[in-house]
Amino acid sequence: MSPRFLLKPKLSYSFLGVVLCFFIVYPLVVDAELSYLVYFLYSTFIYVTLAQGWNLAAGYTGQVSLGQHAFIGIGAYMTAITWRTGWTGYLDPLAMIMSGLGAALVAIAIGVPLLAKLRGDYFALGTLGLGEILRVIAINGGSLTEGTAGISLPSSSYVSMHYYYYIALLIVVIAQGALLWITHSRIGLALVAIREDETAAAANGIAILRYKILAFAVGAFFTGLCGSLNAYYVFHINTTGAFSLNWVIVPILMASLGGAGTIWGPAFGAFILAGVYELANIWMPELHPIFSGSFIVLVALFLPDGLMSYLTGRKDRILQKLPVFHWMFQKA
Amino acid sequence: MAGHLLEVNNIDIFHGEAQAVWGVSFHVDRENIIALVGANGAGKSTILNTISSVIHPSGGEILFSGKPIVRRKPEEVVAMGISHVPEGRRLFSRLTVLENLELGAYPSNTRPYIKESLERAFNLFPALKERVSQRAGTLSGGEQQMLAIARALMARPYLLMLDEPSLGLAPILVRLLFEIIEALKKEGVTILLVEQNVHQTLEIADYAYVLQTGHMKMEGRAEELLNNSEFQQAFLGMIG
Amino acid sequence: MFGFPSFSIFLQMFLNGILLGCMYGVAAIGLSLIFGCMEIVFIAQGAVMILAAYCVYWIVVLSSIDPLFGFLLILPIFIAFGWAMYMGLFRWVAKAGKNPSLLLAFGLMVLFENLMSVVWSPDVRTVKTWYSTATLSFAEINLSVTRLIVAAVALIATSLVFLFLKKTMMGKAVRAASEDMHAASILGISPVGVSAVTFAVGIALAGVAGTAVCITYPFDPFFGLTFSLKALVAVAFGGLGSVAGALLGGVILGVLESLSSYMIGAGWADAVSYAAFLIVLIFRPEGILGTVSTEKV
Repeated sequence: MSPRFLLKPKLSYSFLGVVLCFFIVYPLVVDAELSYLVYFLYSTFIYVTLAQGWNLAAGYTGQVSLGQHAFIGIGAYMTAITWRTGWTGYLDPLAMIMSGLGAALVAIAIGVPLLAKLRGDYFALGTLGLGEILRVIAINGGSLTEGTAGISLPSSSYVSMHYYYYIALLIVVIAQGALLWITHSRIGLALVAIREDETAAAANGIAILRYKILAFAVGAFFTGLCGSLNAYYVFHINTTGAFSLNWVIVPILMASLGGAGTIWGPAFGAFILAGVYELANIWMPELHPIFSGSFIVLVALFLPDGLMSYLTGRKDRILQKLPVFHWMFQKA
Repeated sequence: MAGHLLEVNNIDIFHGEAQAVWGVSFHVDRENIIALVGANGAGKSTILNTISSVIHPSGGEILFSGKPIVRRKPEEVVAMGISHVPEGRRLFSRLTVLENLELGAYPSNTRPYIKESLERAFNLFPALKERVSQRAGTLSGGEQQMLAIARALMARPYLLMLDEPSLGLAPILVRLLFEIIEALKKEGVTILLVEQNVHQTLEIADYAYVLQTGHMKMEGRAEELLNNSEFQQAFLGMIG
Repeated sequence: MFGFPSFSIFLQMFLNGILLGCMYGVAAIGLSLIFGCMEIVFIAQGAVMILAAYCVYWIVVLSSIDPLFGFLLILPIFIAFGWAMYMGLFRWVAKAGKNPSLLLAFGLMVLFENLMSVVWSPDVRTVKTWYSTATLSFAEINLSVTRLIVAAVALIATSLVFLFLKKTMMGKAVRAASEDMHAASILGISPVGVSAVTFAVGIALAGVAGTAVCITYPFDPFFGLTFSLKALVAVAFGGLGSVAGALLGGVILGVLESLSSYMIGAGWADAVSYAAFLIVLIFRPEGILGTVSTEKV
């Protein structure tokens, strides 16, 4: 049975509903502390969020950011610092939202000068530079950031895996929901118009810079949230971990594999890539980075538009109103 | 009608999913100036690009000296003897006049003659000789057009295709341009001229084809078309 | 923290910076060429550099040939390698837009780094030569001989590439294609052929830079990414589309690093470089000698 059965809206919604129920119920029926699947899902939820955060700016608006690690770092450090000074507590929603907002503010600040340029490469490189600068600042931040040794957080605060899992699930549902909402609104149409033909979009009165920054900042917000949650999970953040380029690279890969510029592509891409990665780790631990590298090369060669376009037979990205039965997999 | 130099038979060309040209046929005979006229968007440049093999038609065939050229690579088409001066000239503005000319003789079968070709170019366009080491981007509009034609001639083509060479040129230069085109015909170069400037084009052309939104509308000997009232009425706006 | 140095020390740092910058410049030229023809940032440039570093390392260890001569031995292999990489991989994604090419470059980087890590272990390696610790001293200034040799090699390589681009037909075709690929193909210049040649030159330059790296620094399989980033910054400074610009950008970066490392502190040198990078991107994206337009109309 080809995956195309997923294209029928009623079936696809029921499918989603079933999956969501599973996600909600599963950790309640197994021992969450020991379950590998629970950990895998937790981790993957975060990656889906990151991938979609990148997707909004890069896939929909065409602004490829290479600076997601900056926002992870901001989120992680803001959370850690405010916790250490006692302003916020363990798994504090205030801390998390503040971290997300902090990341979004930085995104806006750096976005204004960089996104005003028409040439997308400069934006990509600029965001990469931003991450590197923040990393160096964190290294040299003295007692505030504790340099390369990093900040240690009281791991005695740990209560249970359930907390992390359900917070991650909540975040990813909100993120995915936000993406759904935005892409189906006028904002979404504007973003795609900008991606497809910026000059024409401007000529039609679309406030280009504002929309680009919006997409970038919303993505940064969710990325910052993930950075914060991650800090709560690992209880120790340092510059190598928080600003690691893996935070840039992996979400981009996942989104590209699934299909950047689609609504569900990055989510599928995240699950598939995370799954492949874990399986490779289990079966051939010494070689699995090589396997992952080869996998990326193969994806680039054979699935340049991602899985979604392959499944829906849509290799081009034309701004058009799509027929209802493509609703779930539509690109715009 | 044996051996047309170029035969275009019933080609359909698409831009992505949109059809641009429908079943167009025409031919070009040796040592003639053939004009392809029509308004903007008629498909003229598309056809030239298809002959150059930069884009491929989805139907029909194109024969050059009897040989099919449709699925070939652009470099093969140039080597066979078709040179194309694209719309807007598209010179390499960062390279010098000399370098642009040299690159015109890139195909390996033309390289041995590069010195002769350069001499011929400078004879036809003396202004270029003075500006040999200048960057192409610094030349005036008229000089750039001359360089573009000279560059195309470096490949020693049998067929020279010109896409709107008069675009952006002052009237004096346009006249000079058309004189050069006639001079080239005398040297034995066959010319396929695409233009919006209908009147002057028909004055030097032997035969003309009229294209309208991707369809072949009319054809005929140039003098006859000029005097044809239906033609005048239909294309009054284009006479320039 | 901010110490203002004496003149001779300043001069020494400055000169050191220039020498260091030549090495960045060579990697940057390769990156700039590849960008010109494929319009992507070849993020695997650093990984290729380290690959070259390992090859030279093994040649030195197994046969005691001087690393520079060792590289000359493998130079043809690297040229062929670059050519093959384009023909076998990048050529197929060229039409699919920039993201697949970026992805491919990234995948190759991960692949190379991890292959090297598995095959040659992640241990740090160093290459010692008879001149590793030698210095040239004059007028209170001490310059490392290694750095001088690296700079000399960089200048030779740059000159060769420059001559190639300026004097040979293929070189002119490369420059023409990087400006207007469509017009070049109408003239009979094969886009695939010209891109493969450009790529080959870019990879060969990465090889030269990698040799420089291995005699200058201790290295491990993952050392390359830093250099990819530095080459990137150098290209941003000097401007896309210009060979001289890439070298100049590298020198500027080297001087900036060297001076800020001494005057502000080694930890901040990188921050200064990246801050300068951001400033250049925002205010003068075409770089100092850049000829590529910033308008994408």
